[in-house]
Amino acid sequence: MEGDQDTSDFTLVTRKPCFGLPTACPNCLPAYIYLKLAQLPFQLAFNPTFPDSEELPYFESGTYVAYNNEDGGVIEKLKKDGIVNLDSQLQSLPEYLSLKALIVSWLDEALTYEVWVGTEGISASKIYYSDLPWAIGKFLFYKQTYLAKNRLGLTKENAERREKLIYKRASEAYEALSTRLGEQKFLFEDRPSSLDAFFLSHILFTIQVLPETSVLRCKLLEHSNLVRYAERLKSEFLEASSSSPSPPLHSFPPSFSGKGSKPKSKPKAEKSEEEKKFKKRARFFLAAQFIAVVIYVSVMGGVSSDEVEYEDDD
Amino acid sequence: MANPADKPDPNLTSPDEVELREDPEDINGGEEEEEDEYEGEDDDEATASKPQSREDAAASRVNAQNLFRRMGVAPVPVRVHDVIVKGNEKTKDHVIEAEVDGVRHATTLQELLEAANVANSNLRALDIFDSVKITLDAGPPELPDTTNVVVKVVESQSPLAAEIITSTKSQARSSSLEGSLKYKNIFGHGDIWDTSLAYGCDSSGEVGLGLYLPRLRGRPSPFTSRVYLSTQDWIKFSSYRERALGVSLGVLLSKNHELGYTLAWRNLIDPTQMASRAIRRQIGHSLVSDLKYSFKVDERNSALRPTRGYSFVSTSQIGGLAPDSRTLRFLRQEFDVKYAVPLGFYRSALNFGVSGGITFPWGSGYKSRASSVSERFFLGGNISPVCSLEGPSALWGFKTRGLGPNEPRREVEDENQSGGDAYERDFVGGDVAVTAYADLSFDFPLRWFRERGIHGHVFACAGNMAELSGNKYRNFTLNYCHILKKQEHDRAKSGFFLTFSTPSS
Repeated sequence: MEGDQDTSDFTLVTRKPCFGLPTACPNCLPAYIYLKLAQLPFQLAFNPTFPDSEELPYFESGTYVAYNNEDGGVIEKLKKDGIVNLDSQLQSLPEYLSLKALIVSWLDEALTYEVWVGTEGISASKIYYSDLPWAIGKFLFYKQTYLAKNRLGLTKENAERREKLIYKRASEAYEALSTRLGEQKFLFEDRPSSLDAFFLSHILFTIQVLPETSVLRCKLLEHSNLVRYAERLKSEFLEASSSSPSPPLHSFPPSFSGKGSKPKSKPKAEKSEEEKKFKKRARFFLAAQFIAVVIYVSVMGGVSSDEVEYEDDD
Repeated sequence: MANPADKPDPNLTSPDEVELREDPEDINGGEEEEEDEYEGEDDDEATASKPQSREDAAASRVNAQNLFRRMGVAPVPVRVHDVIVKGNEKTKDHVIEAEVDGVRHATTLQELLEAANVANSNLRALDIFDSVKITLDAGPPELPDTTNVVVKVVESQSPLAAEIITSTKSQARSSSLEGSLKYKNIFGHGDIWDTSLAYGCDSSGEVGLGLYLPRLRGRPSPFTSRVYLSTQDWIKFSSYRERALGVSLGVLLSKNHELGYTLAWRNLIDPTQMASRAIRRQIGHSLVSDLKYSFKVDERNSALRPTRGYSFVSTSQIGGLAPDSRTLRFLRQEFDVKYAVPLGFYRSALNFGVSGGITFPWGSGYKSRASSVSERFFLGGNISPVCSLEGPSALWGFKTRGLGPNEPRREVEDENQSGGDAYERDFVGGDVAVTAYADLSFDFPLRWFRERGIHGHVFACAGNMAELSGNKYRNFTLNYCHILKKQEHDRAKSGFFLTFSTPSS
């Protein structure tokens, strides 16, 4: 029904951008990426005053609205209503459901834990409450932290045990997804799907928003192919329309104000393919230069010795 | 909530509630005790003087007749020597003396009686006494022409009072039921603490705790404060529900000036998820910190059916008074002018009225920011504009919030249409609103209607609203025209014009 809508009417309403991401909210970012992967032109609008709403993100076009708390989420609703569906023919694959379960339950749970409990909500204040007055922001922070702990089933007695389980599952999920992905561009064949949107959102959020001391972030960085996958998709789909490319994922985001204010030595990042190519080309260039110099010297050396012999003959 | 700040008109108080006491030492020919006729709440034994013989009674009567004759002819000079307060165990003396202070300035007996009436009304208006009696007694014998004012009060035996009332507020769509519990005079300063619960038929409600003080720091400025939690339901008209938790303070600086401050956490939600785009953008939390000043003059002879007089109300509000720049920042100004002209037959009168208001956000990015829907103006409803003194809100002929800018609601497939009552548009309110009315009210010739207070009226009214915030002010243009040349029959106007440009559809 919306196929003939004017595409300039499409608007996605999310929470505000931060940490170098178009929207810093982990619930809103998948929808944003999904629309970018589908290359559907849309406008972005922000609601900065409702951090505890389950309706965000929502997609609107004229009088049509797809809220996130209906029909399994905004992405599912967009698929169901025929706006954009990247998962046609994929949903019947058995692997699709198992990967989806991994991403939207284990990884999502790990991310929720890390944001509200693991890192004690350091990043949450910038994501959710920067536009709200201090008193309201503080109250809603305590409220949302409490609700998150309830959702994760955390109590004083089982907190340690649950934490270990959550991190263990996250590690296993990363391992499985890393193996599944390899060096592919997308999770499934050569086409983007909604699972790429969810997974890419998770990786970008974990690396750019969570502080360096985050356990989840460290676990993710152990899988370099996942970081490369995210880097690739980010530069191809998310920065295609932006004027300046953002810094590489593994460096400090400029707007981050977490604990990493002093330059801490960290393990050297993997070289990207471009750098390898560049170095190869540089080597070829140097070799060519050397050969040219050798040839020049040998040729010019032969000519000057002839001249000397000629002068001696006089 | 009933506001004890509304004092009863002292002119309506019966003059019988002030009495003159007989004294053996006559003042200017003697005074006589008057018989009091109360509504039955007072004690007569305090007024009884010494048992009188027939001769004494006759002498008192003669003295009183002399006194009243003298009062009718010329002012009788008198000076108040002392004000004596009796009967207060809990209430502080200064609270009572402050209300009675006007009698000290009286120079004649006539003025003294009038001031005593006013004092009596003031003390009753405090709502903390079961009875109030003011007696004028003779002053000390060595000081002739003086009188002592004796104020005898009986404090309320039970400081708790409960009441249940039904009311219809001007902004409400339906009646509401209010129950309140008052605890009076806990600290002896005339303080009244109340807890109230109000519930409207449209699932709106409010629960609150309030404090009323008749005087603030000795000044005759009634002070009210209230902590409240309220819900207002506008889902049917504008697809949102407003919840607020806040504290409000109010001071009545004088009869005409009132100052108020409100600090509230306001939350707009859309539980139906059917709101239009403009309302969707408003959903969320906000902190309101605003100061409100009202100037009110009401010289009409009646608030419900005025036949003579005028009234003028101006209300100014500024929001965002907090060090945090993220509080809701807005400016709001309303005014309301009414005038009634009596026509002289069948108690008829012509009533005219104009009211207008404007609101606009301020702060960084104020031009492109939309104003908060809670601060906008909405026209329509069941309240008569003749009675309402709350700026542009009431308008005959339109349903509640039934006029002005509106937007289509969300379209949902397989929607269950709820009969013919389904609204498909949200009324989002306007940043500027103007209303005007002309009304001719008259009594019916039949006595049956007159006795029951039923009257008729013929009226005409008009109103308009527009949006200004969110860059919509660009649709307004202020033009200046100066005619360079015109033909003989051209109808030209020079000067400033305000025009409204609308997008061509």
